[in-house]
Parts: sequence; structure tokens; C-alpha cells
Amino acid sequence: MSKTVDSEGRFHRDTDWQPGVFFGVLALVLLIGVAVLFGRFWIAGIFQKAFDRVPTQGTVHVFQFDYAYEPRHITWRVGDRVTIALRNMSDTHWHEMVIGRGYDTVPSAFGAIATQFKTDFWDGVPVRISNAHHVDNLVLNKARATFVGSKPNLATGGDFSPTLQPGGSINLTFTVPNKPGEWQYGCFVQQYMHYVAGMNGTITILPAK
Amino acid sequence: MGDILAFTLVWILVSALGEIGIQSLIHHGVYYYTATTQALDGEAAFAFIITVLTPVFAFIVVMIGYDMIRFRSREPGMRPSPRQFYNNKVFVSIWILVSIALNLLFFVHPTASAVEQMFNSEKERYNRHDLIINVTARQWQWLFDYPQYNITQAQDANGNSILYLPVDRTVRFVLRSYDPMHMYDPYAGVIHSFWIPAFGVKQDIIPGETRYMYVHTNKVTSYNVDPMVRVQCAEVCGPGHPFMEAPVHVVSNVDFMNWIKQQQKLQAGQS
Amino acid sequence: MSSVVSDMHGARSEHARVKRMLPPVVRGLLWALIGFLVMNTLVSEVFDRMPYHPFITRASVTLGWVAAVGGWILGVGAWEGAVKPYLGYPEEWVVPQDWRKYFMYSTDHKVIGLQYIFSSLGGFLIAGFAAMLMRLELMKGQMWIFNNPGAYLSTVGVHGTVMMFSVGTVALVGGFGNYFIPLMIGANSTSFPRMSGVSQWLVPAGIATVVISPVLGQWTTGWRGYEPLAGQDPAGILFYYLGVFALTTSSLLVAINLTATILFKRAPGLTWNRIPMYAWGILAVSLLNLIWLPEIQMTFVMALLNAVIPLPYFAQIGSPLTYMEMFWLFGHPEVYIIVVPAFALWQEILPVMGQKSLFARQWGIIGLVFVMILSGLVWAHHMFTNMRNSQMLPFSFFTEMISIPTGFAYLVSLGTMWRANLKLNTPTLYTLMSMFNFLIGGVTGVLLADPVVNLQVHDSFFVVAHFHYTVIGAMVFSWFAAFFYWFPKLSGRMYNEFWGKVGAIWVFIAFNMTFGQFFFLGLHGMNRWVPVYPSYLEPMNFEVSLFAFLLGLGFVFNFLHIAWMWNKGPVAKDNPWQAKTLEWQTASPPGEQNFDPIPKVISGFYDYRDQRLPIRNSPQKEPTS
Repeated sequence: MSKTVDSEGRFHRDTDWQPGVFFGVLALVLLIGVAVLFGRFWIAGIFQKAFDRVPTQGTVHVFQFDYAYEPRHITWRVGDRVTIALRNMSDTHWHEMVIGRGYDTVPSAFGAIATQFKTDFWDGVPVRISNAHHVDNLVLNKARATFVGSKPNLATGGDFSPTLQPGGSINLTFTVPNKPGEWQYGCFVQQYMHYVAGMNGTITILPAK
Repeated sequence: MGDILAFTLVWILVSALGEIGIQSLIHHGVYYYTATTQALDGEAAFAFIITVLTPVFAFIVVMIGYDMIRFRSREPGMRPSPRQFYNNKVFVSIWILVSIALNLLFFVHPTASAVEQMFNSEKERYNRHDLIINVTARQWQWLFDYPQYNITQAQDANGNSILYLPVDRTVRFVLRSYDPMHMYDPYAGVIHSFWIPAFGVKQDIIPGETRYMYVHTNKVTSYNVDPMVRVQCAEVCGPGHPFMEAPVHVVSNVDFMNWIKQQQKLQAGQS
Repeated sequence: MSSVVSDMHGARSEHARVKRMLPPVVRGLLWALIGFLVMNTLVSEVFDRMPYHPFITRASVTLGWVAAVGGWILGVGAWEGAVKPYLGYPEEWVVPQDWRKYFMYSTDHKVIGLQYIFSSLGGFLIAGFAAMLMRLELMKGQMWIFNNPGAYLSTVGVHGTVMMFSVGTVALVGGFGNYFIPLMIGANSTSFPRMSGVSQWLVPAGIATVVISPVLGQWTTGWRGYEPLAGQDPAGILFYYLGVFALTTSSLLVAINLTATILFKRAPGLTWNRIPMYAWGILAVSLLNLIWLPEIQMTFVMALLNAVIPLPYFAQIGSPLTYMEMFWLFGHPEVYIIVVPAFALWQEILPVMGQKSLFARQWGIIGLVFVMILSGLVWAHHMFTNMRNSQMLPFSFFTEMISIPTGFAYLVSLGTMWRANLKLNTPTLYTLMSMFNFLIGGVTGVLLADPVVNLQVHDSFFVVAHFHYTVIGAMVFSWFAAFFYWFPKLSGRMYNEFWGKVGAIWVFIAFNMTFGQFFFLGLHGMNRWVPVYPSYLEPMNFEVSLFAFLLGLGFVFNFLHIAWMWNKGPVAKDNPWQAKTLEWQTASPPGEQNFDPIPKVISGFYDYRDQRLPIRNSPQKEPTS
């Protein structure tokens, strides 16, 4: 902010502002606004494709919000020892995390609706489950689970899926199995609607070095 | 006087034409498709109101049109109208009296009369032999229980919820909103609205409360006959709201009992 | 330009290194950004630090927003224009007398009025674009434009919220009200010009907040922000409450300002018997705003706490219906906040265009005032599907009765046109179209007031059609009527009569073809808030969408016509309609001083028996008609 001194020695701001700055900044702000509103996931995807090809080592925190994951993409390498620290950040909804690919569907008046993944990523994978708090239920399916600490409420039916109550958490530690390629994760609770509402993400598993 | 006469003639003509149009609309059914006595009552109230209001509607539309054509200015500039008046006590008095009379009429019939009929149909003494269906609205699914037949969560071959009703029977829907699988979560219950378009009524379902809706089915029909015979959530309840739909089948008593047996067998197999 | 400016130029030549001030809007954005970052960081990283929580939490974004709006308001000029003078410093805020005055804090009611008009126009275009996206999605029964239903529902919410709170309640009140009320009552300013200058800048802030809200998380409640659903919605719902809070605050300040202006700043001789109809309308609306806006704002504060903390006020262990009741307690008066100025405009425009004295004026005023009073007694008709049976009849009764004072607007308008010398130009056409549209809204309102019918058509597209007929049909068409009627006054130029009429007929046909069919969609079982629907509704939805696009284009066409003629139209006379109301008894557009000296009113404004002026001619300045 500049100030000028008039002939009587009083301070005055020079209010004769420039239209160019005004229109430039306004256009920029509108552009950013539109980009953030309509293209934030697209932009994030480009960034992530460009800069984020390094596989994650160790613990990756996966936060569950209503109805989205953070992060929306994870990269692993076959053979690495990794931990998913899953946390449900919602105050109101329970969420799960299923990993797989392909879909099982059920018909509805509005077309087929995905109910879960066709292929369960966890099939035959040894996984150590620890730090389980406020777990709604845990379906093991064909995962080979070992438990550290309190054992969560186990349920059956469907793919391997830890479902967390609001504020719940669970850690899944495992060695990335030899299943390279693109995988998806998603939440199918509440009659599959969380997935419809956009609660999904992708995992890239790179082949072993 | 000539203008008044001409206007009145046009008004009567347009009203008559309007009535012909409205009556043919009513004949086709303003509710498109009805399957309960409640829907017929509502449709009759709807028809009565639009029948009475057609001349009123015509009066104002014809007057706007008549003024536009008859009293339009034909010169380029603005010139005060040679005919100036501030009031017309006869016209104003008729207007006010007619509008009060019409509103009182509508309040007595169909408003109060139809509401009375509706309240009466909900009275306990008329409903001793109702079919009771517990409707649970959870996000985002309808669950239909038939407590008189020990059926919990009636479903079709795909596991989707389905509603079967016998024809010519009063059905009492007991409506609750909560998630039976996640009772620990006080936020899981939101307001839903139980609507079967062909049944002519809807009732909001309030978490923490129990509401009732009564219908009397009057024809054999189903979602396959007319898609208005479906349960549809009418109050927005989150991203899954549009998908909260379930097909309805109104069937003969024999078919209904067969369906009940089939559901009971299905449940015995599941447990 | 004042002498201060020439001094500054002198100073600049002495100090060559002097930098110019940032444009106020840019400075406002900068201060808002700084305010948000500082406050958000303080809350989320210092005072309320939680493990694993992201940088932006519900609590931090709420308080950060408060700081951002504060920074924005101060930055656009409230710091020099309002805060420093209040603290005793000399006021050093110079408004350049060119287009730039519209993009900074100002205390001139004409500038503020136009700022409000263009803010709400911006809101209208944004929310209209959202409507186009919705209609595009509804062309098919499946999801195809939006990725997920939450995105569609957020769009519905943004459309409804921006339309209601930044167009419906603002365009005719904050916009035309601020511009014309002082002119119509013979004053040179409003009562509280500084407050008015500040309040306008809450409108763009509020619109931006609501529009950007889906970034925080897709909220699904529609324009009501209704609990208990809002209590479990993603965080975007916070920006709904905050944005609407800003917009309603702006309307509340306008109401205070215009009420005081009408009560205390009337010209000598402008007695209660002579108050112009539009001023009556604005007075009625401002009283509605004063009564009901604080009520809904408190409800929003509760809902905000409910979502931030979170509290179970409205969950199943709280009182789930309370929010809806409190919302509609405000929400129905809101509808009349929108249409009462439209009624007043009909009664303002028709005597001028018919060059005939206003018919049964006292009944027109009684109508406006009784609509205002009764509007607080009808709200529960929005809740026939969930209320106690015992409440149905009383609310149904009052809802049906409100059609009586509403009808008085028709009584006056029709009586005025009877045997008039009616100029069939663009403003008249829009006024008559508005009367026709509102008539359909009113007739379907009688149907909706009947509980048994309501239980079928409530929450269906029938209701959507009904309220679009009252809001677009009555209010937006009257907005256009006012725009063309006052076009020479606002711009000093004349619009093109041919293209004006083309635009009017265009939007009229497209509007009725779109929303007329909504009634049948609703009766056929189309429920609200659905991006997917059963396929039997697809053909009609597809065709409705085409008309909706035509309507959208029609609005754009009208705005382009207005914008073009604003700059290039032929210069208009000061009083091209030979109107008698005060705003036409001064230059078009008015100078910095509306009236010099203040005129003395000697008769009412709606007497067209002769061409005598209703004011005593001032010696300094001849009337220009």
C-alpha cells in the first residue's frame, strides 16, 4: 500500500487504481475457482501421474471421509513390507476398504449397481491386523490373518473388508503380493451407495525389481 | 357497457372451452394411474378444485388479453387515457366477496371433507383387520417386514426389497427410519418419505418416531403394469436418495398367500 | 473528481516512485486470503490441533471463513470508508467517477443499487448455469454428466440457494430498492449509506462461498440445508450455512436501511397517503425481512454448531423436525419477500403504461400488507407430509385465505388496465406475462394447499413447477419488466423495442413450455432431487430439457440486449413514459445529487387525469418532462 503526501502534508492513498491489475487478478481468481470446482480430481490425477510414481514404503495412512478417500491413489512395489493405517475421519458414517478389481453387480430399476469387486486382492495374502479400534466388523474372506492386540468383531460374506465405525482405526501390515497392475479400492457400505457416491481410489502395484 | 358485455361473452366462451378441456383431462385421470381409494379421493379433490377454478382462471386471462387488445394505445407517444376512474365499488365488492366465498368453499370442500375422510380411515375401529407392514427406511434401502406372517425383509431373487400387497384390503404401513444394522450410530437416521405414486399419498418417515400410513388397495396391478406402482423415496436423504426404490405388486388374495409361503420358505432356508 | 485528486496528481509528479493503490477488489481478495490462512492455521495447527487431521478442519474452515469475509469487506474499502471514520480518522476514500466506482466500496445509493443488481445478475447466471447442468443430466434416466449423485445434488443445492438468497431476495430489494426508493420518495441518500455500502459486498462473498462449497464435500440437502440430513452431510454443508448467513445478513441490513429511509427520509409533502406503491412493497418486504431473517440466521447458527462440533440437536436422539419447522417458519415469508415487490411493480408500471389512474389503490396496499401478515401463518403447508394431523386444517385454512390479499394485486392491476390507453411495450408485456405466470402459480397453490392433494404432489416435480412459476414466473419476469421500465432511468438510453419484445416472448414461451410440463412430470411420479429416474419418464424429461436450454438462451439474449443498449442505445428523454412518480422528475440517469433542491410533493403520483406534475417546480431547475 502506497501513500502519498498532498500539499498540506496530509497522507492520502492514491486511489486511481489500475484496471489491468483488477481484470487480470479477477480473471485469474475466476479461473482458479472454476478449475478447483470442476477439475480438482482431474488436476490432482495429472500431478500424481507426473510426480508420484515412486512406490510408497512402510506405512500409508488412508483416511476415510464422507464419501471419499485420502489419498485417492497409492503406489506399491511387489515384495515391499507395507502397512495400511486406515482411519475413519467421519463423525457420522461407517466406512470400509475393499481392494480388488472387476465388479459383482445386482440389477436395479436404474441399471446394474456394483456390489463389490469380483477379484479380491487379499485372496491368500498373509496380513497382520493390529491397532483395531471401533471396528464395526471385519470380513476376512480368504486372507490369512494374524491378530495383534484386541481382535475385532469378525463377520462373513463378501470380499476382505474392514468396516470402521465413526472415528475407528485399523492397521493392516503385509508384504505386497505378486499381483502387479492396477487395483481399485472402494467402500460399498449402505447398500453400495458409498461407491456410487464416489468413494473409491486406485492402487498401482509395480512388479518387483 | 359494450366492453363489459363483450368481455363477459368472451369470458363465458373461454370458460366453457376451458371446462371442456379440463373435463377431458379429468376423464383421462389427472393422477395418471391410481391403485387405491386414497388416490381416487385425492384425484376427486384435485378435479373439483380445477373445475371450479377454471372460470376464475379464464376471467383473469381473458381480462388480461381483452385489455391488451381492446385498450392498447395506437399512437406513438404517451397520452393519458381519456377515461379515468379510481374505484368501482360494485366490482371491488364482487371481487372480494367471490374470493372469500371461493376460499371458504374450498376449505369446506374438498379440504375439510377429504381430510375428515382421511382421518376417519385411520381410526382404530375401522382397522382391526389391516394388513400390517413394518417399513424401515435405512440409508439407502427399504426394508419390508410382515409381522403377521413372520416375514422379515421381503426380497426378490436378487436380494432387492420388494413389496407385495393383497387387493381390496386396508394396509397399515408402520414407518420408521433407522439403520437396524448400525444401531450405535445416532446420525444414521434421516428423514425419508414413503411414496407410492399410484397410491396417491406419501408420508415422511422421521428418525426416532413412528408414523403410519393407511391405504386401501383397489386393483390388481404391479410395477410391470405401470411404473407408478413403486415405492420411491420422496425426501432427499443423501447421495443414495434416487436409488431408494422398490417395486410394488398388488395381487389377489390367493397369490398373496402363495407369495407369503414362498417368502417364509425362503427365510427358513436362509436362517 | 474532488480537489483531493488533483492534489494527489501533484504529489505524484513530485514523488516519481509512488505506487498506485491495489484495486479494492484485488486488495479485498488478498486480505481475505491472508485472513483465511492466518485464522485457519491458528485453529487447525495451534488451538485445536488433532492428530492426523488435515490442514482444513470443520472448525478451522468456519473461523477461517469469518476472517476471510472480514478481510474482504475491509479490503474493498470498509477499512477507509467505514472503520477509520468511525474511529475518528478523516474519511479518505475517493471514488473515481467512472466505471471503477462500481468495483469498490461506495456510499452512493445509486452505485450500491447497481452493485446489488449486478451481483444478483451474477448469481442468476451462475445458478442458471447450474440449472442447465441439471437439465442436461436429466435428459437421460442414468448418470451421464455427473460422476455421482452427490455432485448432482450439490448442483441442485447451489442452484436453489444462489437463486433464492442472492437473486430472489436481493434483485428487487437490494437492487432496485436501493436505487429507486430514495429517488421515489424524494431523498438524496438512504438513511445509513455506510452500512449499505458494506452490506452490498457480502453478496459476492456469499455467492462465492455457496458456489465453492462442493470443494469441501458434496452436500445433498438442496436449498434448505435441512437437518437431520445436513448433520451427516460432508463438510460442504458448512459453506452453505456460512454463505447463506452472509447473504441473509446483507438482506437484513438492506431491510434496516430501506425501512428507515422510507420512514424518515421522505420529501416534504410525501405523506403516508402518497407513498408510492413500490415503496409500500419494499416496506412490507423489509418488515418481513426484519422479522424472519434473524430467526433463520439463529437456526443456521444452531445447524452450523450441529455440524462443526458435532451436536445431535436434530438427529434421532434430538428433535429431527425442529429444523424444518424453523426453516419454513422463515421459508414461507421468504416466498413473499420475493413476490411482494413484484406485485408492487405491476401496480407501479401499469398506471404509467396505461396512462390511467391507479385503480382501487387502497386495496392494493391492503393486499401487500395482509400478504405480509398472513405469510407468517401458512408455513406448515410445506410439512403436510410429516406434521400432526391436528395441524393440517388450520394451516390449510390460512394458506387458502392468503390468496385473497394476493388477489388484490390482480384487482388493482386489472382495474387499472380497464379502459386505459395501454402502451404495449416491453415492460408492459413482461408485467402481463408475470401476472399470467403468477396466476398459474396461484391456482396450483390452491391445489397444494389442499392436504389430500398435497400428500400426492408434495416433493414431486409438481411442486417444483409451482414454485418456479411463482419465483421465475412472477419475480424474474417482473424483474425484467422493471429492468426495461427503468432502463432509460438507469442508463440514460433506450432499449430496442423490437428486440425487447422478441426477448419477452421468447422467454415466456420457453418458460411455460418448460415448467408447464413439470406439473405433468410430477403427477406422473417424478420425484425431486434425483439424477436417475425410471425410464418411462425419460421422453418427457428429454423434451423439457430442450425447452429449458431455450429458456436459458432466452435469458442470455435479454441480458445481451440490455448490455448492448446500455452502451449503444439511443439517448432517452428524462421522462420517456410521462410517468408521475418522483424518480422520473429528475435527470436520467440522475446526477450525484438526485434532487437539487429536494422537491415538495403536492399531490399523489397515480393521477393521470391531466399532465400536471405532482411536485412544485423548483425555481432553479425546470422539470425535464
